[in-house]
Amino acid sequence: MSSIDADLVIWLNGLSGNVKVFDDLMRLVASDYLMPLAFSLAMFGLWFSGKNPAERVRYQITMLIAISALSLSNVVVWLINISWDRPRPFVEHGDELNLLFYSPTDPSFPANPVAVGFAAAAAAWSINHKFGWWMFAAASLFGLSRLYAGVFYPTDIVGGAVVGIAVFIFTSYLRRFLEPLITSFVRLIRGLSAA
Amino acid sequence: MSTDFETVRDVFASHYFLFAFLASLGTLQIAVANSGTRGLWLTPRRLVTRWLGVALILTGIAIFFLQPLWIEGPWAGGSVEADSISREWGQARWGELAAARNVNDIHGGLDGTKQAIWFPLAAILAFVVSAMIGALNIRILNRGELDRSETRSSLNADGLAGLEKHSYFATLPVSLRKFRADIGGVWRAGLRTADRWSLFKIIFDRSSN
Repeated sequence: MSSIDADLVIWLNGLSGNVKVFDDLMRLVASDYLMPLAFSLAMFGLWFSGKNPAERVRYQITMLIAISALSLSNVVVWLINISWDRPRPFVEHGDELNLLFYSPTDPSFPANPVAVGFAAAAAAWSINHKFGWWMFAAASLFGLSRLYAGVFYPTDIVGGAVVGIAVFIFTSYLRRFLEPLITSFVRLIRGLSAA
Repeated sequence: MSTDFETVRDVFASHYFLFAFLASLGTLQIAVANSGTRGLWLTPRRLVTRWLGVALILTGIAIFFLQPLWIEGPWAGGSVEADSISREWGQARWGELAAARNVNDIHGGLDGTKQAIWFPLAAILAFVVSAMIGALNIRILNRGELDRSETRSSLNADGLAGLEKHSYFATLPVSLRKFRADIGGVWRAGLRTADRWSLFKIIFDRSSN
């Protein structure tokens, strides 16, 4: 399994260095700022997107759950990181990889940015399937760009996606323990004319 | 010039804030144009507001990722290939622009926590700017377009529903008044319908017993 993992990242990263424009595009997508901001903007936009008050409340409660899921997925990734310090691909196969990104110092498994992206995508999907699929595509592209850049193994990306989706489902389930606090919080924001 | 990490972080934070603000403002404009929340529109026309939103997002992205071309930072001198610590201070060249922003957070880039602080601030500022310009829009530019009888009948709407026909400043007192009147009922109705494992249901049921 580990060998297939390494072979895949070496093969995919081996495609780099041929077309500079494509490499540059992947560098931009892999950036710490572009896709994470896109996920945040998607949630921000959904907050204001409902066409009637009932739809808005549903969107807004889901966005609050999503924000909690993003925070919680970071905690889950950190917990996995402290129990398994998997080295990054460029550490184990540095001579076979053309690193297109800076050298992260945290463990490889699971991919933290992918977990965050998939948690946001799962939230969007739960209220709007069509938009959610676009978000899943964006989160997958983000993972693929990091794979292409040589900073994650494929199993890190899959692990990150599983963590993100699972944490969102778990956080949605947790909501039942916190009601009516969440609905009342949305009502408070509506009292400030922002919901 | 210094490559001190705190200096690098300050540079990133200010650039990121501008990026997040413009992109948030753009996203907000697209969302409120689609939902008809006129009180937050930056222009009097739905279509123009929507396209302005797209333009603002693209401007934010362009400014953030092009800035290394004219603003000095830790991205100069051809040392941007996968190493964020050995970069020289200066301006980036076109060829190395895509990698210029790829700086590790331990070398001055913004980590997730810092982004989680700066983004909400930028989003709140985008909302405030939209509310202020939207109020001007409704008061000055849009006066003729809104049906007065329809406007009067919706005077009671609160929250974003109120912003469909009124400015933020006209809607806020209505929203606050309704919030004060409703919140007790919302809380009690929520407690009645909440799952039996709800922490608040458990606490309040126990205290009432």
